[in-house]
Amino acid sequence: MTEIALKSQPMASRSNLQRVRDWIGNPWGRPRFLVLVTWLYVLSSIVPVIIAIQFSFNSGRSVTAWQGFSLSRWYWSDPVDSVWHDPTLQQALVQSLKLAGLDMLVATPLGVLLALGLARWRGRLSSPANFLMLFPLVTPELVMGVSLYLVILYLFTFIHPSTFAQMLGHVTFSLSYVVVIVRGRLFSIGRQYEEAAADLGATPWESLRLVLLPLLLPAILSSLMIVFAISIDDFVISQWLSCGAQCDTIPIRIYSATRAAPLPSVNALAAIMVYFTIAALGLTYLVYRFMTRHERPAGGATASMMGDIGGM
Amino acid sequence: MKDRDPEAKPATTALRGSLSRRRALKTIGGAGLVASAAPFIVRRAFADSAQPMGPGGIPLARPEHPVTLPMYEDPLKAGMAPETGGDFVVYVYADYIDKGLVNEFCKAHGVNMQLTTYDSQDEAITKQATHAVRPDVVNITPDRLAQGVAGKLIKPINHSYIPNLAANVWDGLQSPFYDVGSQYTVPYTVYKTGIGWRTDKVSEDIAKLDNPWSIFWNAKKYTGYVGVLDDARESLVMAMLYRQFYDINTEDPAEIDKALTDLKALIPICNPKINITEYQTLATKQSWLHQSWSGDLLGAYVNYLPAGDDGSSLRFWSAPKGKGPIQNDCWAVSSSTTKPVLAHMFLNYILDQDVAFNNFAKFTGYQPPQKSMTADALIAKKIVPETLRTAVMGPEDVGAGSLQECTLTSAGQKLWQSAYAKFNSGT
Amino acid sequence: MYPKWLWAVFALPGVVWLILLFLTPFYAVIGVAFGGVDPIFQNPLPAWNPLDWDFTSFLDTLRGFLPGRTYWGIFLRTTEYVAIALSLCLLIGYPVAYYISRHTRRTKSLLLALLILPFWVSYLMRMLAWVNLFAPEGYVNGFLRWSHLVTTPPDWLNGNPVSVILGLVYGYIPYLILPLLASLDRIDKSLLEAARDLGASPFSAFLQVTLPLSKTGILGASVIIALPMFGDYYTPNIVSGSPKTSMLGNQIDIYFHGGPQPSVGAALTLILSAFLGVLMAYYMYTVSKAQRESQA
Repeated sequence: MTEIALKSQPMASRSNLQRVRDWIGNPWGRPRFLVLVTWLYVLSSIVPVIIAIQFSFNSGRSVTAWQGFSLSRWYWSDPVDSVWHDPTLQQALVQSLKLAGLDMLVATPLGVLLALGLARWRGRLSSPANFLMLFPLVTPELVMGVSLYLVILYLFTFIHPSTFAQMLGHVTFSLSYVVVIVRGRLFSIGRQYEEAAADLGATPWESLRLVLLPLLLPAILSSLMIVFAISIDDFVISQWLSCGAQCDTIPIRIYSATRAAPLPSVNALAAIMVYFTIAALGLTYLVYRFMTRHERPAGGATASMMGDIGGM
Repeated sequence: MKDRDPEAKPATTALRGSLSRRRALKTIGGAGLVASAAPFIVRRAFADSAQPMGPGGIPLARPEHPVTLPMYEDPLKAGMAPETGGDFVVYVYADYIDKGLVNEFCKAHGVNMQLTTYDSQDEAITKQATHAVRPDVVNITPDRLAQGVAGKLIKPINHSYIPNLAANVWDGLQSPFYDVGSQYTVPYTVYKTGIGWRTDKVSEDIAKLDNPWSIFWNAKKYTGYVGVLDDARESLVMAMLYRQFYDINTEDPAEIDKALTDLKALIPICNPKINITEYQTLATKQSWLHQSWSGDLLGAYVNYLPAGDDGSSLRFWSAPKGKGPIQNDCWAVSSSTTKPVLAHMFLNYILDQDVAFNNFAKFTGYQPPQKSMTADALIAKKIVPETLRTAVMGPEDVGAGSLQECTLTSAGQKLWQSAYAKFNSGT
Repeated sequence: MYPKWLWAVFALPGVVWLILLFLTPFYAVIGVAFGGVDPIFQNPLPAWNPLDWDFTSFLDTLRGFLPGRTYWGIFLRTTEYVAIALSLCLLIGYPVAYYISRHTRRTKSLLLALLILPFWVSYLMRMLAWVNLFAPEGYVNGFLRWSHLVTTPPDWLNGNPVSVILGLVYGYIPYLILPLLASLDRIDKSLLEAARDLGASPFSAFLQVTLPLSKTGILGASVIIALPMFGDYYTPNIVSGSPKTSMLGNQIDIYFHGGPQPSVGAALTLILSAFLGVLMAYYMYTVSKAQRESQA
């Protein structure tokens, strides 16, 4: 992308209105309005979260009045209310991580297979199958939660509200994300490498294992990361399929707390979730970068990752 | 509590945190009848034509129509030795009984404690009926007793194992209307519904008003800080009591509609929040005037006051007997128990003076109907301040003449729930 | 070189999963909504056989959506909130996506990372942050008081629609920007260069080339956030808690949590899904029309 400063008229004779319109519409100039809006948006979405994390280090019990800095009070040192000592918060943390782990474990392989299948299946049923896969993306979570709740109450009665049920729900809505990401990567790879492998005498199985799968690895990693993030974030489905206090996840705890009088320990719990997500993000980005180091397109690794994710 | 360190907390975290018990309290009045085991043929039915019938032909109990539950088998024989070894399963709401106390009991009798929790009576009944959970003792509410007995989920009890019932529990609950003769249950906690407020924010002396409930309809200056209980029964009952209509178990659509209209009128007046978090928000000044359960004020005082607030501005008012709702819940011996003698002894243990006191003061904040726990005694022990004397109940509050939200027929339940949903839609 | 059945076999487990855990639960909703009531225990009996379906209770609920009836008001209010929130999201999100897709090179990676960050932060966490900031003693009111912009800062969380709509915008906008960005990224820059070469001013190049080309992207991103927004019930609960701002999702929530009428809740869910299905169908129709036009 070159930055050519094109002007439709000589500088001096441009009216002010023209200048403003140039600011807005000129794709190659310096658009101050857009810069402002963008940075305002970025700040306004991140700053509240940073402030919330800041309050997790509050030395007092307030979540609105800063009372001094205390690194550990709400994380581990307060003997009753800190995340380390409060069994309900601890339980929520463990449950969230458990579900996220299960979700990654089940949804990713299932989704990769589904993506491969849907992308390359040429049968008559492939179109409705594709349709089916896209549906969870636009279904409101409430509808999914309600329907899963009813189905285990009245039809699949051998499934009780439990971690298992929550896992089933999480995988169901995570599948679509995995498929979309992997398919995007699949399209950008194309068939060339597998065909080359076939020309060189590889069997279909070898071609899959030694050519396709390694090429797909970056997308699989992105999927793992995304599945982790959306599973940790999930509130509605976890709530509807919850078995009670033992199955409550971090978002459910935060939800109860925000409706009452929260302590900074809830901020600490939420902050821990953010740390985990950032770590997962960072780790996967680094691994992704390492793995695609030989095929870096213009724009860098972020752009290629964006390309995969943007398949949505 | 005068010189309590504002930063120190009682030795438990359970009073705050999980909302499951509070949430579950909501379903006591508004619970529907849920599937349980096969209906049971009644051997002794009470054919009172004015009294609505429940499952299995057992009439729905009302304070003015007490019900003697049919005995489908004989209670346990007296004088047997307690069982030991194995698990002892206690089935109760989360955070509703001190685990430490249960553990002590189990250790003393050589069994392994298993505290299984449920989120609602609906869930509890369903899980017991399908044998997903096989408890030894279960916490049950009076409105579920017809189902419990008709579905043979609970067993009749033998009082010779439970001397604490007669010795420690209020006379008015020795033979409650929902279980005449206490054949199946012993009471656990009692509470009443009234108004909680902060005197530092609300200038009216609510207790002295002619019609205290009217404060809500005159609360325009407290807009945004008013609350109504998130419960289908409690909220509409408040509107009924405001109009001094005391048949709170009515199934008359006209009366329910009238209550709904009154309740809806509150929205433009003071824009009330609908929740059950007053035990926290009244303490932290996020709420100034809230329809409350008595135990919530005590819980707020004990656990949620921020630093610098000594709780002296918290107040509670409830109507005199027969003009405001009260409730209590119970323990029963589950029919799936393999340790019936031990189960009886557990019921006796809960009714012990010290155990009940510790459970209340250090853990739940919900008052047990113990003779020794008068308001004077609690205030002397500094558990409850003088200003919250009104939140403590006494034996005179229960029994004949009291008002209780009892089970309705399913048609009635639907009417109440639909009216409540309409109120919630804010249109 | 691969056997023809291979891909179908690969797709099978995923498809079976979705059928069992996505389609069938939907059928359970239908079964409960059109089902009957147990005569002894008065709880819903789902009807699995279409011949047993009983529509009376469902039709009652459906009639409640007619103007002036039970659910009309809340349905209108929900649509209003979603429409306003969506417009605000687009108003803010489109310039941001446009800027990032077109203007930066060095800072693109950084901006992208910053942009993606709120997407990864849990929705509930962002709501918690919002509630803390706008609490009566929070930083926002503190700032207003300090700067003397207002003498008595308003109570943001006392149950007014503005807070709820802004909360919705704050919560959902990251989910709009990302797909929008992805689709804007795909617009061929050479088309814009051609427009400029042909004498178009920058602004009209934007209006006549970029905007129309991004139409499907805008539509897609709008669908991705508007449809789930219709089912939102937790945002009004967290930010407001007042019946004045409750949405359709709250009604569904009431009928399911501990009540005698899950069939009404199921009926409401069905009606909501049908409504969203109509919107979705409109979207698909528009997209396929645009595809046909672009191929023609």
